[in-house]
Amino acid sequence: MVVGDIATGTELLVIGAGPGGYVAAIRAAQNGIDTTLVEKDAYGGTCLNYGCIPSKALITGANLAHEAGHAEEMGIHADPVVDMSQLRDWKSGVVDQLTGGVEKLCKANGVNLVEGTARFKDENAVRIAHGGEGQGSETIEFEHCIIATGSRVIQIPGFDFGDEPVWSSRDALEADTVPERLVVVGGGYIGMELSTTFAKLGADVTVVEMLDDILPGYESDVARVVRKRAEELGIDMHFGEGASGWREEDDGIMVTTETEDGEENEYRADKVLVAVGRSPVTDTMDIESAGLEADDRGFLSVDDRRRTDVEHIYAVGDVVEDTPMLAHVASKEGIVAAEHVAGEPVAFDSQAVPAAVFTDPEIGTVGMTEADAEEAGFSPVVGQMPFRASGRALTTNHADGFVRVVADEESGFVLGAQIVGPEASELIAELAFAIEMGATLEDVASTIHTHPTLAEAVMEAAENALGQAIHTLNR
Amino acid sequence: MALKEFKLPDVGEGVAEGELVTWHVAPGDEVTEDQVLAEVETDKALVDVPSPFNGTVKELLAEEGDVVPVGDVIITIQEDGDDEEAAEAADAAGSESAESDDADDADGASDDESSSGGRVFAPPSVRRLARELGVDLDAVDGSGPSGRVTEGDVRAAADDDGDEDESSGPRTVQTNGKSATAKRDEGTSASTSASASAPAESADRKQTLAAPATRALAKEEGVDIDAVPATEMRDGEAFVSPEAVQEYAQAQREAQAADAEAVAAEADAGTATAEATGEATSESAPPESGPGAGERVPYKGVRKAIGDQMQRSKYTAPHVTHHDEVDVTELVELREQLKPVAEERGSRLTYMPFVMKAVIAALKDFPYLNSQLDEENEEIVLRDEYNIGVAAATDAGLLVPVVHDADRKGMLELADEMNEKVEKARNRKIAPEEMRGGTFTITNVGGIGGEYATPIINYPEVAILALGAIKEKPRVVDGEVVPRNVLTLSLSFDHRVVDGAQGARFTNRVKELLEDPKLLVLE
Repeated sequence: MVVGDIATGTELLVIGAGPGGYVAAIRAAQNGIDTTLVEKDAYGGTCLNYGCIPSKALITGANLAHEAGHAEEMGIHADPVVDMSQLRDWKSGVVDQLTGGVEKLCKANGVNLVEGTARFKDENAVRIAHGGEGQGSETIEFEHCIIATGSRVIQIPGFDFGDEPVWSSRDALEADTVPERLVVVGGGYIGMELSTTFAKLGADVTVVEMLDDILPGYESDVARVVRKRAEELGIDMHFGEGASGWREEDDGIMVTTETEDGEENEYRADKVLVAVGRSPVTDTMDIESAGLEADDRGFLSVDDRRRTDVEHIYAVGDVVEDTPMLAHVASKEGIVAAEHVAGEPVAFDSQAVPAAVFTDPEIGTVGMTEADAEEAGFSPVVGQMPFRASGRALTTNHADGFVRVVADEESGFVLGAQIVGPEASELIAELAFAIEMGATLEDVASTIHTHPTLAEAVMEAAENALGQAIHTLNR
Repeated sequence: MALKEFKLPDVGEGVAEGELVTWHVAPGDEVTEDQVLAEVETDKALVDVPSPFNGTVKELLAEEGDVVPVGDVIITIQEDGDDEEAAEAADAAGSESAESDDADDADGASDDESSSGGRVFAPPSVRRLARELGVDLDAVDGSGPSGRVTEGDVRAAADDDGDEDESSGPRTVQTNGKSATAKRDEGTSASTSASASAPAESADRKQTLAAPATRALAKEEGVDIDAVPATEMRDGEAFVSPEAVQEYAQAQREAQAADAEAVAAEADAGTATAEATGEATSESAPPESGPGAGERVPYKGVRKAIGDQMQRSKYTAPHVTHHDEVDVTELVELREQLKPVAEERGSRLTYMPFVMKAVIAALKDFPYLNSQLDEENEEIVLRDEYNIGVAAATDAGLLVPVVHDADRKGMLELADEMNEKVEKARNRKIAPEEMRGGTFTITNVGGIGGEYATPIINYPEVAILALGAIKEKPRVVDGEVVPRNVLTLSLSFDHRVVDGAQGARFTNRVKELLEDPKLLVLE
């Protein structure tokens, strides 16, 4: 049966139900806007289905198994066996619970949900092609639109995700067995998170990175803590090499790499995971028909209300140029766009964006590094607290890493922080809050922090910057 | 049942502010949709502001005499409950502009923010409040720890702005206003005396410390940041604040305006026939020093609009004025004959329709006099319409109602339309659109006295014709001196577009037609 092309109207059309889109849709509906949310695949987008959430589930499983098997010094002797397919099912259960929750929340808030792929007809209408043959299509006219189509993994020449031994991050999270030997192309945060996870699950992991260190973009003393731990976990890291191809062997596959000087190396593996980054999805919906143009990398430029050049069309999340591809950035942008549609005086004016890497140990960063602060014209002062001096860190048996706070010396305003160590992803939130509030070092240092907790290290780092630390030697 | 805020709407194209002349409602009054709430005088006209809601007036937020920027809340209305749906619909329609205003206000504020490039030390809730109140956070001195901006600081800054808007008398205060327009206006009304004060003197340094936003502001205002007097010294270097740049730019503008006024004062005498009374005080006698040196008359509303327009014209278009005399004896006779005929038809026939006819005929022969210079595209636009403005003296100043498509109208039609519009202008009931779109202006300066004038072009038109009085003068006809009726003509034109010879030929053509008005029958 062919369903005719019936045009319906909506005040706000949101394309994509990831952390940018669904949050925008719910907030808009809360503000009394008639909102329609279009999703072609799964509620929650990459984050909930193929990214943040499933990877964190796997990481938790891997950590548990690994720690249980490596606690002899605490008198715990165990040799856990991981049933990978069972771990995967548990992970899928978590994902289903969350995505189901998103769908329910959308409905409960009165968001109209539409399944299908949107293409712009003009700047006030899209055509939605419903999935599956003969499902027909419909036209939706809108007053405002928020593009929240996210990103997809980048594929590199010689490695086709269609080939069974070649994994994208999404494939890796769906694995029901642990490969004996895994080559990971790319030492960025996704590559390192998955390398660590599979190493802990028992794989023999080799990381091939084109640059000369893992975690590009992070300060070298931060990356060093993670690299040292990765070495302890038996991860073999090769720098200055780019993966050039792979071939079938009798026993698995052979991944070939090339150095800048043209020197070739080969690594035996069972799977090769390519994690070299993500690119925005702006090429599937005929944005030209709406009068929009993406830049040469596919990003859309927006103003601080997240409006594109076509004022009633907004863009949020991974499709937006110049903001990091992070779920929480997408959500914030979605809220700004939705509230602006509702006439609220909002702007994306966040002073700092926190980011977390779930390696071992974790990394949490927010705001400026010392070098950033100098470049921005501040006279930065830095305070640091190693976790070795934290009672709580020692009792968790994870005492690698440190908390570093960067502030303006004259005013004391907190400008940034870098944490590498246990629960860094959680600890960074306090410092993000401090920065947004315009708090000073003294404000952080004078706030009583619970003992014994890891969070005390944040207070100590602030005290250290003031030259008043108790548990470390002041600078 | 909500309490609705009503913002001063954009009452005319490009109008940035209006003077609240009269409130027609008071707190407690019930109002219905479309009921007139207030009368607002904008640059050019008196406009009725209707209510978008049904409800009860809660509070009037502007006083009569206040100059209110477009987008400022002027009244709050408690919306009716029993008619909720209708009210909501009305609200949806009415608040549409309010919403976009909101967005625009906020745009201004946050553009400033983003251009600062650095951190704003204020919590998110305070930043949002600043956007809501239209306060530029960069310009707020924080009272919190280390200068952190607090909610109180933002509210205080917003109130400061409000206070300034409310006071209508002479003002010399200069702080961060809500909009550039508001600031500029304040400065101007603070009188030209400021140009003599310190900030006008340039500092002329080699190096200056300033925030990127301040540098951008200086660029925008067209001032050299090294010339702006330093606010303070930081690390041994002169530091300049955005306020200092504003102040300096303001002083520069005033100095220029003072020069302009001196020039315009002479030239203006020609065009503005209504300048006779009290207004002369504000025009020609700027106070020499601070408050108290003389009566201060606010420079605002129509007066200021005229001033701005004159200044722009005189500084944009190089004026040349061509003078001549026309023997209109025959025209006087013709008009005497036709006057009773016109009266029978209910029309009052003056000389103006004849002049308009003659001018249109001449414009058709010399299309460059009916043109406009598009500087951006470097093109001269030869207008295909003949919309003739007729300057009218009113109590508020000089207004120019426009007779559109005058070439397609008969003599009596021209007479009627012109009389009607001039009357409306005098009563200040003329709509802004009735004063727009002119392609050529005629001004009658003869009514009060004088021979010739040097009228200022009604920019962006390129020419204006001033008529003197028709007087009996001795003329030589066939070798004998006889009394004849003579009219003086003064044509000012934009020398960028029209050369002297062309101006003279145009005037000759007008002259020919007025000397021998029979020829007008052919036109």
